[in-house]
Amino acid sequence: MSGGRDILVCQDLAIGHGDRVVMDRLSFALPAGRILAVIGPSGCGKSTLMRALGGLDEPIGGRTTLMGIDLATAAGADRQSILRRTGFLFQGSALFSSLTLRENIEMPMREFLRCPAKEIRQLAEYKLALVGLADAMDKLPSEISGGMAKRAGIARAMALDPEVIFLDEPSAGLDPVSSGRLDELILRLRAAFGTTVVLVSHEVPSILRTADFCVYLDPETGTMGAYGPPKDFLQAGQAPKVHAFFTQARFD
Amino acid sequence: MSQAPSGLPFARTEIQADGLAVVTVGGVWSADVALPDLAFKGDRVKVVAEDLGTFDSSLPSWLFARGRHVRQLDLSGLPARLQSLVTMAEKASETAEKPEEFGLLERFGTWGVDSGSSWARAFEHVGQTALGFLRMVTGKAKVNWSDFTLQLQTAGVDALPIVALLGFLTGLIMAYVGLIQLRQVGATVYVANLVSLAMTREMGALMTGVIACGRTSTAFASQLGSMNVSQETDALRALGISPVEYLALPRILAVTLMVPLLAVFATFIGVFGGMVVACAGDLSVEQYLTQAVRAITFKSFLVGFIKSVAFGFIAAWAGCYRGAVAKRSALGVGEAATSAAVLGITFIVVSDALFAVIFNLFNL
Repeated sequence: MSGGRDILVCQDLAIGHGDRVVMDRLSFALPAGRILAVIGPSGCGKSTLMRALGGLDEPIGGRTTLMGIDLATAAGADRQSILRRTGFLFQGSALFSSLTLRENIEMPMREFLRCPAKEIRQLAEYKLALVGLADAMDKLPSEISGGMAKRAGIARAMALDPEVIFLDEPSAGLDPVSSGRLDELILRLRAAFGTTVVLVSHEVPSILRTADFCVYLDPETGTMGAYGPPKDFLQAGQAPKVHAFFTQARFD
Repeated sequence: MSQAPSGLPFARTEIQADGLAVVTVGGVWSADVALPDLAFKGDRVKVVAEDLGTFDSSLPSWLFARGRHVRQLDLSGLPARLQSLVTMAEKASETAEKPEEFGLLERFGTWGVDSGSSWARAFEHVGQTALGFLRMVTGKAKVNWSDFTLQLQTAGVDALPIVALLGFLTGLIMAYVGLIQLRQVGATVYVANLVSLAMTREMGALMTGVIACGRTSTAFASQLGSMNVSQETDALRALGISPVEYLALPRILAVTLMVPLLAVFATFIGVFGGMVVACAGDLSVEQYLTQAVRAITFKSFLVGFIKSVAFGFIAAWAGCYRGAVAKRSALGVGEAATSAAVLGITFIVVSDALFAVIFNLFNL
């Protein structure tokens, strides 16, 4: 795990839909190789923040840099180069419905890697095996369950060994065993490749197991309520709303 | 055994006296460079690292692909973080469900059963539609009437320009072909009979039915298929509302009502198209119209009208049926739209042939 260098930096960031600001004054930095959990009540703008951090949406105000590049103002080639080094899992998995799971994973590899088809196939099979889909490779997304689609989406997000991986509710729709296995996978990827992970999640046990930092988005104030290691917020007296989020969700 | 050049990934195998194959891996492993083409030999393999530099997932995937077929694989000679990446994929594969394997006979049987159930679903949908009509007549069905008025507009009024164009050209073509033949026997005056009779009994209804399949069936299949994808039809079922009654009935009703009107319109435009050609050469307008009016009998009109009602129903039903059974994916919606047009046109032509036989039997 590498540390020190900030791979993701937000400075006075404002995000929203169109001109409507959902969250503003967001400022934090994430060192490389760390896992950040974006938490908060439903509808507070967690996915919107993740899209802005990953360069999919332009922020309304402020600045965010990923690997030292401001994606909102970066030239096309720089932007492509950064996006090539990131992976995304969307809430609805967003698998290409006309491709099998294997083809879904192979698609970004074919576009960006220069290795032979045999090795691409081998890599895709390995990624699918990592998420427990070794025997569903030739199925279409319409033939698998929501949980399996989520796992296939994670495999596709990992296809190019990204330096930063964005996961929007990765555990949603997964059974506790699969969810635990996914946490283990995230930790192992970080340990093996130093992958930085940004994840949106409501699963407190999973956040406590995996995240090094969490940012709490407070819809009442329209800005971040707290930023720090999740375990800190378990102690009473620390940021009351975040403490309540962790403790209530934990024992509900 | 020669050492691989520094930096490039390498692998070599040594077979020990006790049969254990020792695979040595090293170098820098990346998916962007050629990987060693080496197969694991024997059923007992130990992998060790030597001068192993950085690696991405090309190394664990290389080991996983080769190691999964080995009975006894020892990875203890590798760094712990690499071991964990291989063993994790192996463990996850062990717990994954094995797909069922089917032989040729089973696949043929499955195809037969699938085809049978596909026809059964089609008949079931026809039955549900008929039942829905009965429930609608008795006021029990929940029908989306705003869809009905919308479809009167989109499937009916909006189709007028294309129906007019194709109807006109059909009449024109028939008149051309007819004139060439009839000139040889000096009976060009009968071109009016030919065009008006063909348009009234056959072509008006057939052309309109085919246009409805191209425009309306595909639109219905896409609409209902997309609603399937977004689980809107499930939401209707959960509310206790039949999707056939709520979504399909107003569409089928609107199209079954509009296609006969469009067919009558196409017939008149087609007769006019024939007149343009006929009067440009051999006939006067009076001659053409006199012959045409003589040729169009109430019986011919009735035959064309009955056909157009049936064709309208078939076009709308094909779209609604294919949409209802569409697979829940973008691909499924596309397939539904294509198959709706094919199904509609096929059924229209088949039913046209059946009508020809039936009307002949009844001397119509």
